[in-house]
Amino acid sequence: MRDWEALVEQHLIGLALEPTERAEVIAELAAHLEESCEELRRQGMTEEEAVRRTLSQVEDWQKLSRLIQTARTKENIMTDRVKQFWLPSLLTLSFSMGLLALIQVFGPNPWLVARKNGWTLVAPVTVVYLPWLLSLPLIGAMGAYLSNRAGGSQRAMFSSIVFPVLPYLVFFLVAFPVMAIFNERLAHTIMFGALFVGLFAWVLAPGAALLAGGLLAQFFFSRRLDSRRVAGS
Amino acid sequence: MIGTGIKRGTAELAVLSVLEHGPLHGYEMARRIEQQTKGALRFTLAALYPMLYRMEQRGWIRGAWETSSSGRRRRCYRITPVGKKKLSPLRKEWAELFDALRRLTKVSHA
Repeated sequence: MRDWEALVEQHLIGLALEPTERAEVIAELAAHLEESCEELRRQGMTEEEAVRRTLSQVEDWQKLSRLIQTARTKENIMTDRVKQFWLPSLLTLSFSMGLLALIQVFGPNPWLVARKNGWTLVAPVTVVYLPWLLSLPLIGAMGAYLSNRAGGSQRAMFSSIVFPVLPYLVFFLVAFPVMAIFNERLAHTIMFGALFVGLFAWVLAPGAALLAGGLLAQFFFSRRLDSRRVAGS
Repeated sequence: MIGTGIKRGTAELAVLSVLEHGPLHGYEMARRIEQQTKGALRFTLAALYPMLYRMEQRGWIRGAWETSSSGRRRRCYRITPVGKKKLSPLRKEWAELFDALRRLTKVSHA
């Protein structure tokens, strides 16, 4: 009687899995081959012919080994949702936050401004804010590219593009009102004009800048896909 | 006979559909699919197992070793609640695709 497990093990020599997992895969494939061979024998084939036909199910053992390894390891690390939404979103968030911090640290120096009571060091918000805002379309395009490359839907791509403004939006829509409810002093000193300026500066304008780059990239990808379809038809 | 590209896309739907009726091991699954599709869909070992492992990692199916009455150990796969949830949109997508192709071929032959 043929030792199918030994045969599979010999062919899957490059399969780098944990020993128990590897043994399970080998046992499962061997059981499949054994059953295939028995079925062919029942149909009247000679042992030699049945074995030959059974083994013809696998043309390239190295490729099979690679496919099994990919299926059992890489898929484990990254699901579709991670690749299409979480990874692009967290990268756009990290890049936008990191860039803002870098501009603050290494960007333009504070200005000396003359005041009635002497000179004051001032770091004008616009000097830090504008370069950051102008860099956001690139970050939005990066989010769209990463999500698109992973096969993300339109919704996943849109979410990845605007993800960096989400913390600010949560602050203005949830954290700030909650703080105002629990902190009476804050509630009395809220200046609604300043609140709307803040909402515009940290949510609406960055969101628009991210979308400008992201949607442009998305448009470019869909055009490229269309042209490939035309070329392939 | 259906071409390789289409087969690849329908493979997951085929596996989920046969597992919906009860747990099966890999060989039996391939045999069942071949019989029910009258040979149009045929899975070799090389095509079947990487896909089963991928579907298992995604949580659509779950495999467990079982011993049959003849004393043979086989890894049987069951569809999970996640897989059941995946099955209905997959069915809808493929139905829409086949409807579209039917309409297109009718128009082409008119």
